[in-house]
Amino acid sequence: MIAWLAAFVVVPAAILFVYSFCERDEIGGVIFSFTLENYTRVFDPIYLRIFVRSIGYAGLTTLICVVVGYPVAYYIARAPEARRHRLLLLVMVPFWTSFLIRTYAWITILKQEGLLNAVLQSFNLVGEPLSLLYTPTAVVIGLVYAYLPFMILPIYASAEKLDHALVEAAHDLGAGPVRAFSSVIVPLTMPGIAAGTLLVFVPAIGMFAITDLMGGAKVPMIGNVIQNQFLQARDWPFGAALGVVFLAMFALTYVVLQRRGAAVSS
Amino acid sequence: MKSLKSTLLALTALVGAAGLTAEEVTLFGWSEYVPQAVLDGFTAETGIKVNFETFSSNEELLSKLVAGGGAYDVIQPSDYAAEVMIRRKMLAPLDRTKLPGLRHLGDEFRRLPHDPDGGFTVPYMTGTVGIVVNTEVVKDEIKGYADVFQAKFRNRLVVLNDNRELVAWVLKTQGKSANDVSPANLAAVRPVLAEWIKLVKVFDSDSPKTALLNGDVDLGIVWSGEAAILWNENKKFQYVIPAEGAHQFVDVLAIPANARNKEAAHRLIDYILRPEVSKIVSENFPYTNPNLAARKLLTADELANPASYPTGGQLETFRDIGAVAARIDQLVTDLKSSQ
Repeated sequence: MIAWLAAFVVVPAAILFVYSFCERDEIGGVIFSFTLENYTRVFDPIYLRIFVRSIGYAGLTTLICVVVGYPVAYYIARAPEARRHRLLLLVMVPFWTSFLIRTYAWITILKQEGLLNAVLQSFNLVGEPLSLLYTPTAVVIGLVYAYLPFMILPIYASAEKLDHALVEAAHDLGAGPVRAFSSVIVPLTMPGIAAGTLLVFVPAIGMFAITDLMGGAKVPMIGNVIQNQFLQARDWPFGAALGVVFLAMFALTYVVLQRRGAAVSS
Repeated sequence: MKSLKSTLLALTALVGAAGLTAEEVTLFGWSEYVPQAVLDGFTAETGIKVNFETFSSNEELLSKLVAGGGAYDVIQPSDYAAEVMIRRKMLAPLDRTKLPGLRHLGDEFRRLPHDPDGGFTVPYMTGTVGIVVNTEVVKDEIKGYADVFQAKFRNRLVVLNDNRELVAWVLKTQGKSANDVSPANLAAVRPVLAEWIKLVKVFDSDSPKTALLNGDVDLGIVWSGEAAILWNENKKFQYVIPAEGAHQFVDVLAIPANARNKEAAHRLIDYILRPEVSKIVSENFPYTNPNLAARKLLTADELANPASYPTGGQLETFRDIGAVAARIDQLVTDLKSSQ
């Protein structure tokens, strides 16, 4: 396990860390001379603004995933066993198709002469076709779609373990459905929500394919910026510096969530 | 014991035989640019197996070669990437006696600025970056970049998601060379590009034709090959070489200095230079074929495609701009993010 961690986590992260203090040569190779310039560039307002925007998109995505995913996960967890397995399978079925193909499917749904507009127009709900594709809305739809299962599965795992007797006890003690939900069910499934939040929020910040394909690459996210450094701009050291800051941020998010999770369960 | 020995012997013989018979050549080329039929034809004729690996940008190719990954026998960079590789002595000089097919190439594709002596590179296909107009929707006459980037076309445009291209178009509009990326020129580009970027609906380098075909946009600045496919699909998609001047790219074949099988590499390049083989490339990927003998084999319809064989226009190839690429990336990222 330790060897596995060293080979696939520690070593690549260490390489990233070393590169982030290097310089770029004219062809895009890495020169091993110490500089802090990459880090001063990371904190340039240009990139800070992109960081903040990425956090905003990822936060909104996570929020929608919780709101949409929680009822689904809870419903599955409470379903009879045979049915539960079938429902769980349905949550995972989309993973059998390539992520890119599923994203292209969304493009055919949202495009101007696409499925959604055709349906809306045939019911006379809209006059002009809506411009949905290549907008921030499309990006959020794509992100929510891509990460929703990662929210449903951990919440399901928590909700399944939930002892229903506790909920009944709450009702017996006079708690209405809202009170029972907010004071008993939510705290008991908090570990699932926290894990789901981490699994959705972290990759959503770094996502670049959806912003390119469904957002028209109009508004760059931090994932796009990093990708560009390794390809178009051929500036690996700067890309590495962005990656290191990114990593530090994730570690921080994780620690905060862990602490809160621990505080809630104790 | 004896049986073990004979098994080992048999194994050695097998490995030896495999090593002898299966001569291989590794081609590192653009995705969606080399028809499988061409590679199969080469293997059928010579018995040399072609390992085909792909990349999707010059930068990816350069990154892989600089990082020292992979041993390739034939690579397919564009002009400016080949230029930097020649300068860094990353390419092997070509043996022209092994490439009799070079005689098929048109004069305007020889001795280009990236390889003035033609000693390292052989043009594969060339193309331009130009304007596609959906003439069913856009009734104005579109001649150049300035006609495309008008306020009335806001959210009706698709352009390449390529920062250097964007900067080059502004430079052309300002009457400068696409390669003159001095700080002063970039400063002058900035305000114009800031306005242009606000008008664009989609940035897409991989398949800009999709947004045009789907009706999400009416105008585009795209690779000529994409435009040629659109024209084949529907004649309403007209191709225009921008009046201010256009970027011409020349994608070449070259042999890396550390290639293992230079002999087979030459054979593969010369095979691709054959008119009947080069014709297959044109049929699949309707860019401009620099092979004049191959052009003679194309149908009248293929030759009439205005995107494949545009007439007139001032064309300029990109030169290597070194570290300025990073500055351009920062400029465009800033403009995109602050709109």
